[in-house]
Amino acid sequence: MWASASFVGVLIIIGVPLWWKTTEVYRVALPYDKINAFDPMSHFISSELTVLANDDKTAQDIAKQIEKAFEQSDVIKLKIKKQVLSKELQHILDSVADEQEALEEVAATFNTNIHNTFYVVQRKPLFKDVWVGTERVAFFRDVKAAPTLVEALVHWIYEPSVLNGARSETADPARQIRFPSGPGFHVVLSVVHPKPQLMKVDFNARDAVEDYIGSFVDEISDLHNFTLKSQWLHLLEFNFEAKEVTDSPGDRHFAVRQDRLPLLLTRLEERAATHVSERPTLNLALYVVPCDTAPLVLYDADNKRVSSPVQAFMSPKWGGVVLGNPTQQECQEKLYKPNVNLIMGTFLSQLRKLLGITDKRAVGGARLEALRRAAPRRWERDALLRLRALEQLASAQASLASLAELLGEISNIVINDEVGASINLAVDSIQRAGQLLERGDLLEAHKYAQQGFLAAETAFMEPSLLALLYFPDDQKYAIYIPLFLPIMFPVVLSLKNLILWFRGKPVHKEKID
Amino acid sequence: MIQLNIFSFSLIFSLLFTISITNAIEIPEKFQKSNHTNNWAVLVDTSRFWFNYRHVANVLSIYRSVKRLGIPDSQIILMISDDMACNPRNPRPATIFNNAHEQINVYGDDVEVDYRGYEVSVENFVRLLTGRVPPDTPRSKRLLTDEGSNILIYLTGHGGDGFLKFQDSEEITSQELADALEQMWQKRRYNEIFFIIDTCQASSMYEKFYSPNILATASSLVGEDSLSHHVDSAIGVYIIDRYTYYVLEFLENVHPNSKKTMSEFLAVCPKSACLSTVGVRRDLFKRDPSKVPITDFFGSVRPVIITTDPIDIQEIPKRRKSQSINKTKVPEKREYLPQFPMHLVQTNNY
Repeated sequence: MWASASFVGVLIIIGVPLWWKTTEVYRVALPYDKINAFDPMSHFISSELTVLANDDKTAQDIAKQIEKAFEQSDVIKLKIKKQVLSKELQHILDSVADEQEALEEVAATFNTNIHNTFYVVQRKPLFKDVWVGTERVAFFRDVKAAPTLVEALVHWIYEPSVLNGARSETADPARQIRFPSGPGFHVVLSVVHPKPQLMKVDFNARDAVEDYIGSFVDEISDLHNFTLKSQWLHLLEFNFEAKEVTDSPGDRHFAVRQDRLPLLLTRLEERAATHVSERPTLNLALYVVPCDTAPLVLYDADNKRVSSPVQAFMSPKWGGVVLGNPTQQECQEKLYKPNVNLIMGTFLSQLRKLLGITDKRAVGGARLEALRRAAPRRWERDALLRLRALEQLASAQASLASLAELLGEISNIVINDEVGASINLAVDSIQRAGQLLERGDLLEAHKYAQQGFLAAETAFMEPSLLALLYFPDDQKYAIYIPLFLPIMFPVVLSLKNLILWFRGKPVHKEKID
Repeated sequence: MIQLNIFSFSLIFSLLFTISITNAIEIPEKFQKSNHTNNWAVLVDTSRFWFNYRHVANVLSIYRSVKRLGIPDSQIILMISDDMACNPRNPRPATIFNNAHEQINVYGDDVEVDYRGYEVSVENFVRLLTGRVPPDTPRSKRLLTDEGSNILIYLTGHGGDGFLKFQDSEEITSQELADALEQMWQKRRYNEIFFIIDTCQASSMYEKFYSPNILATASSLVGEDSLSHHVDSAIGVYIIDRYTYYVLEFLENVHPNSKKTMSEFLAVCPKSACLSTVGVRRDLFKRDPSKVPITDFFGSVRPVIITTDPIDIQEIPKRRKSQSINKTKVPEKREYLPQFPMHLVQTNNY
């Protein structure tokens, strides 16, 4: 009896808990309650708006109308301040000739360099109701301009619909164009020269990338890191299947259908070697059209000729292509000198959209001063910070929530200490970023949102999550049953006898002679 | 009483009828349109050794078809676990054929194999799908899909009930595969998946799937073998599987703008031709396969936006921070000396 009791003791009392403990899936305690409480729609951004008008009543009226327009928006909360312009500033603003000077005057009195602020300033001698330039200032004429002003604020400056799209689950049109958030991008400008033996191209790609693209990306270095590169691709020919169209005797162009263009991208990808960087690549390509098919002209989906100073197209989340058409004279001289300003301006226009600066639609009665420099407008940078902060917050929360759900669904995923640490870091950063957004501290909020986003991504994508503890339950029994059943049988069967023995009853009936 | 019954029946019928009509109206044509923005393909051959030549031919034929229909190499992950083209038994080195007529060399130019040889393992396959690759993996070996990606997954090799063998040494179970797909879904790594598997007892691989938006088809049901098509006597082994053979025959007639639907694809190999029953699982897939164009999975969408608003830059920008540019040193130009150093010899003309 002692023997069978010791078997039971070893196997059941020591063995089973030991087996349980050693085959347990290692998991760090995670803040499930915090993760489950996440709600991407709960975040909102505070922003400061100052109304400067000539008299108190105008300021009141304008402020009231703006307030009313942004009342229902749950993604952006405006803190509106009202102020009456001093007499002398009023006088100066009314007397200076153009808006640029007026801007400087405003900037001399008010600090327009602070992130996440915006000034709405009255200026009587305006041609249109509202004027918006590159600084964080909008001019308006009088009280009657209020509806236009509100519309400009909604569609240009704050864009609540785009912000809503950034935090929602399904991708809105803006999100389908821009690259997803990331710590950095690799920008490559490829000059494609299909027939180098026939023509020389005079274009300094390295300097162009450095000066134009470089000064653009320096302005948004708070958001992403960039690496810039340029390269030449020779002898890469592509058949556009262009149709020759004669406009007038001696004047012709070659028509390219739009559905032919995606194939050019595939052809470019073969040679562009964009996988050399570990970062997502933004492809920019200048395709030098050979003289026998120049000038190439794009026709849109409705088969209408595109009227534009430059023949160019872009592909969402991929990059942009500009077709460089040499003139007849250049073809004769066998030397093509591209218009660097125009080409780089086109690339910049594409780059802006790919990185998340939206197209500004026309607002009746309001004038948006055309951009004439490489750097983005100041308020566009603010909008980009808001957008990316919200997007990264929403993405980080979604990653953590689905990781938590997966851990419930699939029981044998290991969560080691490092993954646990990055999950905790992500949760803390998300909370901090959310608070900062509500306070309106945009730069800091974006920093924390990015930190949270990256931590959540590493937690989800951590290679150790697949450490080979991946073993479906049904296969476990295939191993355990032949291993343990033969041993467990006699042990379990002897239990009955043991119990009887413990109760002091005689185990074996005494033989009765 | 009977009249009442008839009346109530007719009422119910009319009610049902109106419901079905309103349903039909509520689902517009657009509902059947996919909202994917890019296409990816994962093509895997899992078996080694010369007698499995046909599996390599299978996967390379599918590779050739999806490439012809427009998916670029950067969005195709090709895993081939043995190198038949360079096998010493191959009578025509550097070629792989999928037909005894040897018309098309499927190992022709531009085949970009992403994982080859012993890199084709269960671990690498699951890592690829879930995105949990080691951090130093190059981008060409990653499945960089997003919420708008339609993915075509094609697997071929030797399978059994509930598993697919990799490399004669390990196997992936249907549960593991289902969990991997669920993790992809949770991370929003796909919009829709079309899963094709050509192995024995192939349908057992998709039975455990539980993530939405997956359409799956298999060359054989549980308990059935999937058979090969024909032998090339010059090569000496079977060179293609029946199911893939008929799939290819079908795909050869598909063009990037053809109007063939997925339901035609699913019916591609009847039992009389395949000798095994083709299995289909469509309960996870939200759309009606008869209204889904085949190019949603085999072709590639690449939206293009024409740019008409270049920025008119007034002053040429100069980058403020002069960062160190690593200029590659241009070597000085050198010339060949003339073959006969005549310039060294004073020639005197008498």
